[in-house]
Amino acid sequence: MAPRTKKLINQPATILSDMLEGFAAAYPDIVRLTDTGLIVRAQPKATGKVGLVIGNGSGHEPAMIGLVGQGLFDVNIPGEIFAAPGPGRILEGIKAADRGAGVLVCVSHHAGDLMNAEMALELCGMEGIEAVEMVVLYDDISSAPKGREAERRGTAGLFFTWKMLGAFAETDATLAQCKAMAEKIRDNTRTLSVAITPGTNPVSGAVMFQLPDDEIEVGMGVHGEIGQGRQKLVSADQTIDIMLPPVLEDLPFRAGDEVLVFLNNSGSMTQMELFILYRRVAQRLQEAGIQVYKTYIGPYATTQEMAGFALSLCRVDDELKTLWDAPAIGANVRIVQP
Amino acid sequence: MTITTQDLRGMITAISATISVNISMLNTLDSQLGDGDHGTTISAGFAAAAEQIAAADSPFDVLRLTGMTLMNRMGGSSGALFGTLFVQAAMSVKEAETVSLKQFAALWQAGGDGVMKRGKAAPGDKTMVDALSPAVTALHQAAEKGETVEQALQAAAAAAEQGAKNTAEMTARYGRAQYVGERAIGHVDAGAQSVALMFSAMYNYWKGK
Repeated sequence: MAPRTKKLINQPATILSDMLEGFAAAYPDIVRLTDTGLIVRAQPKATGKVGLVIGNGSGHEPAMIGLVGQGLFDVNIPGEIFAAPGPGRILEGIKAADRGAGVLVCVSHHAGDLMNAEMALELCGMEGIEAVEMVVLYDDISSAPKGREAERRGTAGLFFTWKMLGAFAETDATLAQCKAMAEKIRDNTRTLSVAITPGTNPVSGAVMFQLPDDEIEVGMGVHGEIGQGRQKLVSADQTIDIMLPPVLEDLPFRAGDEVLVFLNNSGSMTQMELFILYRRVAQRLQEAGIQVYKTYIGPYATTQEMAGFALSLCRVDDELKTLWDAPAIGANVRIVQP
Repeated sequence: MTITTQDLRGMITAISATISVNISMLNTLDSQLGDGDHGTTISAGFAAAAEQIAAADSPFDVLRLTGMTLMNRMGGSSGALFGTLFVQAAMSVKEAETVSLKQFAALWQAGGDGVMKRGKAAPGDKTMVDALSPAVTALHQAAEKGETVEQALQAAAAAAEQGAKNTAEMTARYGRAQYVGERAIGHVDAGAQSVALMFSAMYNYWKGK
């Protein structure tokens, strides 16, 4: 095993609680940490609106603690590092998010996230909580072929769903309408990721995968799941030229479409690199006749200090454009129109 | 010969002790295919479970509390699956004061069925099922032959260990490891190895009684 990477933590056993306490202390006007380790909005949304919750493994910050707030999630249930929270904790989160109009449990498609959410819904059934639905989201084109979309992993492109679903759940939309909206955004989103250097697991200190100095991995998952192919390290433009065509082809995105473009920083990419990459994305989309409505460039779901990025596109109509432009005020994600 | 509530508590405690001295081995196995923390996670889960069951006074209580603690303490796929294993095992001994060898085989069968249903995994998918399934078969066979609990656990431990070893030859169709494809071949599944350690610990508990 490789030596432990330098990290400033106290001890592995308190990573989660230390982080959550610091996070809540830093943003008291946006979030509150409950006694049971949930991150909830400092001011809950009005009664009569659908609550949005998500449980997820920690270690991917700002996902998802940084996405609790107005126009985003109501409650986040942070699990241990890279492990979804158990069903008992998800149930607590569902109860905390209930504003009388039902709760939508959002699931980023990974085995652990899905199983624990399913068990939480079974617990709801046993407790007589009926107004709760689950929606499973996925976007990563490298994890299953076209035609088997439901087997794909949830990765960076889910950001589009959280942002626009979050805005939608601030309206008087019903639980069923919220679920349908999440599916609509999902079904218009496609993502492909690339890793150039690995991250380390902060608990074990182990490097999460091995990648030679002159190679990249296309299709890398957010936990170091190995993707579809190793390739030689090439320039930023050439990397986009490898990644964009399969993303466009998969939906497919066509001339005349309007899209949101998201470049997710996997951890230790620089903004400099991301802007260099986006330059090429913009050129190629223009050539393809695809119009960029808005962009988001920065970290959402990270994997510690992994270097790499995800390229994610979402096709939007007028309804989605309005939802994208609505205010989102999370501790680490703030979208307000100039 | 029957297995008492005290025996079941002793077995959970023994599992916790055995897993705790194998943390780095399990982490290393997991780092080949997953995120390298399975040993740390499952050890924390069983340590918490061993504390929780101190006052459990029926086989059902010991197994159910173990399962619920694993689910909520571990989280992730492994918490869901190891938790389901014990919760479903508990459901099959709801009224029992003690557990016969036949019931012991049946409870692991019920637990294993629960795991396969929850995880949509079958034998050969390179998961904990590949160690669990042969162990259950060994327990059933021992019960049919009228063997002692010690003989049954010895056979189950050996079968689980062999089952875990066999996962090295499999490609994964489940969980994070599925994305590794052919590159998974040659690596033992960490969940399967944990199941092998569980049965080995239960055998050693019984042998040392």
